[in-house]
Amino acid sequence: MKAKEALGLIITVLSLLIFAYEILYVGLVTRNIGVNGSVATDAILISAGFLLIILGPALWLGEVPTNLKKLVEAKTGRKLS
Amino acid sequence: MDATPVILILVVVLVVYGLAYVFYGKRILEKKVVRASPDRVTPAYEKFDGIDYVPANKYVLYGHHFASIAGAGPIVGPALAMAWGWGLPLIWVLFGNVFIGAVHDYLSIMASVRHGGVSIMSISENVMGRKAKYIFLAYVWFALVLVLAAFFSVASSTFVGTPTAATISVLFMPMALLFGLLVYRTGVSVKTGTAIALVLLILAFFYSLNVPLYLTYEAWVVVLSLYSMLAAALPVWYLLQPRDYINAYLLWAFVALAVIGAFLTLDYSFTGPVYTSFVGPGTLIGALAGTSTGKASIAYFWPTVPLVIACGALSGFHSVVGSGTTSKQLSNELDALLIGYGGMLTEGAVSSLAVITPIALAWNFAALASATGLPVSGVLLKAGVNTTATPIITGLGGVDRFAVGYGLEQAVAWSRIFGPGVFEGAFLTFKTFAAWALSAFVLTTLDTSNRLARFAWREFFDWLKPRNELAYKVITNRWVASVIPVVLGAIMAYPKIEVYIPELKKTTVVYAYSIVWPAFAGTNQLLAALALLTAALWAYAIQKVRGGTSLLIMIPALFLWITVTAGLIWWLYAVVPGLPPLYQVGAGTIVAISVVLDFLLIGLFITGLRRARS
Repeated sequence: MKAKEALGLIITVLSLLIFAYEILYVGLVTRNIGVNGSVATDAILISAGFLLIILGPALWLGEVPTNLKKLVEAKTGRKLS
Repeated sequence: MDATPVILILVVVLVVYGLAYVFYGKRILEKKVVRASPDRVTPAYEKFDGIDYVPANKYVLYGHHFASIAGAGPIVGPALAMAWGWGLPLIWVLFGNVFIGAVHDYLSIMASVRHGGVSIMSISENVMGRKAKYIFLAYVWFALVLVLAAFFSVASSTFVGTPTAATISVLFMPMALLFGLLVYRTGVSVKTGTAIALVLLILAFFYSLNVPLYLTYEAWVVVLSLYSMLAAALPVWYLLQPRDYINAYLLWAFVALAVIGAFLTLDYSFTGPVYTSFVGPGTLIGALAGTSTGKASIAYFWPTVPLVIACGALSGFHSVVGSGTTSKQLSNELDALLIGYGGMLTEGAVSSLAVITPIALAWNFAALASATGLPVSGVLLKAGVNTTATPIITGLGGVDRFAVGYGLEQAVAWSRIFGPGVFEGAFLTFKTFAAWALSAFVLTTLDTSNRLARFAWREFFDWLKPRNELAYKVITNRWVASVIPVVLGAIMAYPKIEVYIPELKKTTVVYAYSIVWPAFAGTNQLLAALALLTAALWAYAIQKVRGGTSLLIMIPALFLWITVTAGLIWWLYAVVPGLPPLYQVGAGTIVAISVVLDFLLIGLFITGLRRARS
């Protein structure tokens, strides 16, 4: 596994843990996330999770899926790198 | 009160859209103008790069296109325009959809596809010359920065006002990613992936109804700016395609429920007037409430209607989406009619059936209560609307007008099936659902706008490539090109501004979009006129379309150009002098520059037309 992919995996796991904590624990126990009118720790955490979950899998899994490459190669007849 | 039954409007809207799609869209535009063929290889394959040029399933792409073109415009604009009564806005939406908006969207996609997926701005070079291309690109890039500023502000203020909509929006993102990874990485079928994502989405919606997410306005601007930058730089197959595809289900559900609501209430009559006046108050076209300009009757339906109703009837932003992200993902030329023409008609259905019809039905709260026998006033009071102080729906702001109208129509409809006991619960649920749909519209537009700004930026600097390739690569790097518009947009969206209103002798705090919105709406509609003229010229000069078919495209394009130009000049004359200095400098200057560029481009259009004729 390349360093970029390992970093992506760590970010993905971290963001999933944040989501699980905020949604399944904080949200269900307190019936809200964050405090109205201020920037609370829980709100910062879930916002960070929201951004990290977008970035993590992109780094971890790479950019072009194989089946997509195959589809384009079949249609155009050219070999993609 | 007006005695028009709901069923009449429902039938008119569905018949007009059905006939337009088959006779104008399919038989004229697809067969005679574009002459689309499934055998031509599209840019998605020809220029595949795994990031922007990526072929997409027809329905996935329809979802992306529809979700991207539908911002706050199709909802807020028609809701505000109800000040003219419901008849004139409905006519403008239907006329604009069929003869301008849908034509403009479809031709923008197809012209781009035939030119290797480049933007409508670059296509203008082929028909109007090189100058036109760069003027057009600069114009569009600034317009997109305004879109970002306005939508950062709209989305942030919506999340502050309806924190449950923030929860579902945050939860939605991992679900969309999961769908994309299942379909593209693991080979799960689109059907199975869709089913999994939709079940999770329904669970998330009911969770969100009970768990609001609180952040401040400024913090949301920062979070959404980072989101926009990330989402716009990542490959389309990874987030944009799956997110917009799943999002489209929400938006279809939103439209389908509006149609079902209309069917279930079809024997009721509208409680609102078909026509109030041809001239509305200045507030309708951006003058500040409480000021003499705001109260004065200066909002003439023609030519100011495009400054109020934007995306629901037509929008220049659509041409940038169509020739930006959509054309680069089109797998088959025959898919474009559903995506371009059909997508615009669907957006028109949002305006006509999900906004105008419910508001016209729920217009007079007492009359609605009397007609249905339901406790309308009591339920509205619990939701924070005092019907004694606000007896008619136009007393509410644009977004509230829409959410309350949609919620009431649904609540009345479902009460007929399940009994009056469900009225209150249904109203609150569907009012939240409406706010969620609005925020979904806005968020998808947010990151698509940034991606499009990147495309425009890259095309603007194409002259640098043969001279200094390294500099070109650095300047057009996808992260660099994504950061610049986001930063500019966020700077404009971030402040909450204090405005002193002399007539009221008090200071009020306004969100930035109040300042940016009129400039955004004006430049957007002007862009629509210019893009349709470019597409009309493309059909004339490149496709060699002549006679009645050519006039069918050209005449509405010229009518729109005259209308928008006249509307903006009237706005500069009648509204801008009454605004505080900040508004005069910000919105006034941007629109004045836009009008100047508009005249330059119309001059180049006339030259291009003469050249094509000779």
